[in-house]
Amino acid sequence: MLRINNLYAGYDKLQILYDLSIDVPGKGITVIVGPNGAGKTTLLCSIMGIARVFSGEIMYEDLPIKGELTHNLARRGISYVPQMGNVFADLSVMENLKMAGYLMPGEEAKIKAENMTDIFPVLKKFLYRKAGTLSGGERRMLAIAMGLMKNPKLMLLDELSTDLAPIIAEKVMMEVSRLRNELGITILMVEQMAKRALEIGDTAYLLVSGEVRFKGKADDLLHEPELCSMYLGIKPEDQDIAGIEKPSLEGSE
Amino acid sequence: MAPWLASGLIYSSGLALTAGSITMIYITTRTFNFAVASMATFGFYISYTGVALYGGAPYQYYPFVFLFGSFLGLICYFGLNRHLLNRKAAEITLMMSTLGYDLLLLSFIQMYADFLTHAYRLFPRRVTMNVYDFELFGTRAAAFILPLVTVAILIILHLFLTRTKFGVAMRATIENPVLSKASGINSDSVYLVAWIIGGGMAALGGSFMAMAMTGTPVMGMYTIPLMFAGAILGGLGSLYGGMLGGFLIGITEYAGVFALSQQFGPWVQGYRMAIPLILMAATLIIFPRGLAGIPLGKLIGKLTATKRGENT
Repeated sequence: MLRINNLYAGYDKLQILYDLSIDVPGKGITVIVGPNGAGKTTLLCSIMGIARVFSGEIMYEDLPIKGELTHNLARRGISYVPQMGNVFADLSVMENLKMAGYLMPGEEAKIKAENMTDIFPVLKKFLYRKAGTLSGGERRMLAIAMGLMKNPKLMLLDELSTDLAPIIAEKVMMEVSRLRNELGITILMVEQMAKRALEIGDTAYLLVSGEVRFKGKADDLLHEPELCSMYLGIKPEDQDIAGIEKPSLEGSE
Repeated sequence: MAPWLASGLIYSSGLALTAGSITMIYITTRTFNFAVASMATFGFYISYTGVALYGGAPYQYYPFVFLFGSFLGLICYFGLNRHLLNRKAAEITLMMSTLGYDLLLLSFIQMYADFLTHAYRLFPRRVTMNVYDFELFGTRAAAFILPLVTVAILIILHLFLTRTKFGVAMRATIENPVLSKASGINSDSVYLVAWIIGGGMAALGGSFMAMAMTGTPVMGMYTIPLMFAGAILGGLGSLYGGMLGGFLIGITEYAGVFALSQQFGPWVQGYRMAIPLILMAATLIIFPRGLAGIPLGKLIGKLTATKRGENT
């Protein structure tokens, strides 16, 4: 669904990504892991037209999207949930949802927003409260709901578990897994909580200093003790994999 | 109504609109719009042209004033601001570009004043607009009409920003431009609308102020420090704060001059601008974020608690 070839990108004159090639298959979860400063967020920003792309190719549904304006990418079905500033703090929860569905007709956006409160019941009681007053976990739920409002084909999720209590982070991960399993959405996920992300992921890339050090199945990366302990802080004794149901990727784009 | 109060209300209404214009354009595009000075002056000349050539009261020309100001805002956006924003220009560059635009507009104002002189035998370089006003309840009608129009504009803006889809999108873009773009909101159209509304408010503010002061080609240049003082007093982050700040700056100037000249004599008039600027400085020392930073909720809570304590 998304293919990146030989990407060099960064901000202004600062180059962060070097010759990066990534393939995101449809209807699966692709996980990007790596230490701080590896360029994971820059990768998502490059796809969304926020960071500067020096050279390389970004193909979405076999069409080039390099240089496309951010709001046009949203129109084409790419939904981006940033790590920080992923909700409009001064707007109410309902206004946030409506803004996320900005491209829909008013009535459709309203119905979709109500659907979101069915998927994330925690938001129901805060609909008319400012998003800035929500707790960290509630904000993340709202951010994912906002991402889903656009009926996305591809979701880019940037470090959803940051600043969350472990129990809430686990809940968020289960939601991400459900998006793939039940809604068939393709997900490209950048995550610091590497072990859990690799457990729910299908494909994985390990990014170090702007370059790919590993690409393959997510489970396979978990069985690379050297890479896991050196770059992801996963000790060999932690490498038992929880049984998460993963649908087959056969037949996907 | 005392003459100083009538003039103060008229002038303050104009300053509220110009300070609101500065704030609106700043919070959306990060641009301190120096061209607000000439936009305001042009606003005055549009209303003056109307009454001088076609008669009637200045109020009936205000829709044209707003439209012309919006047109000036639109030119500034498409001619300068948009290109600089796309190139991620620094705030200082954005600001200086509007100063250049202001000087250009000032030249056009001078040419327009000459045109009115030669083509229509008018005297547009020193105009007293209040001669075109009428009386209402024994005082100038502008003292009632202009504050009411200002409040009406504030209410309309509030409804626009809170009840319409595009208005909420504007608030979203102001708060988080990246997320709003990722939501599919075209920030370009948000910036354009901010310049259209901001330009219109600046021109309307200028035509209001000319009802209380002598209208000249440089009236905008003379009053621009106070327009910015109003916006800064309002905290620069809130449209409502900006408008309130502009109003307070204007009314303080008139009330201060009146009170001090009664006490010390008419020489105080020469220092009239210092009074509101001292108010601004004092407010910012106590509340660095301006009026928007005053914790009204806390203050009301404390006052209520104190009152309860007295009662028990």
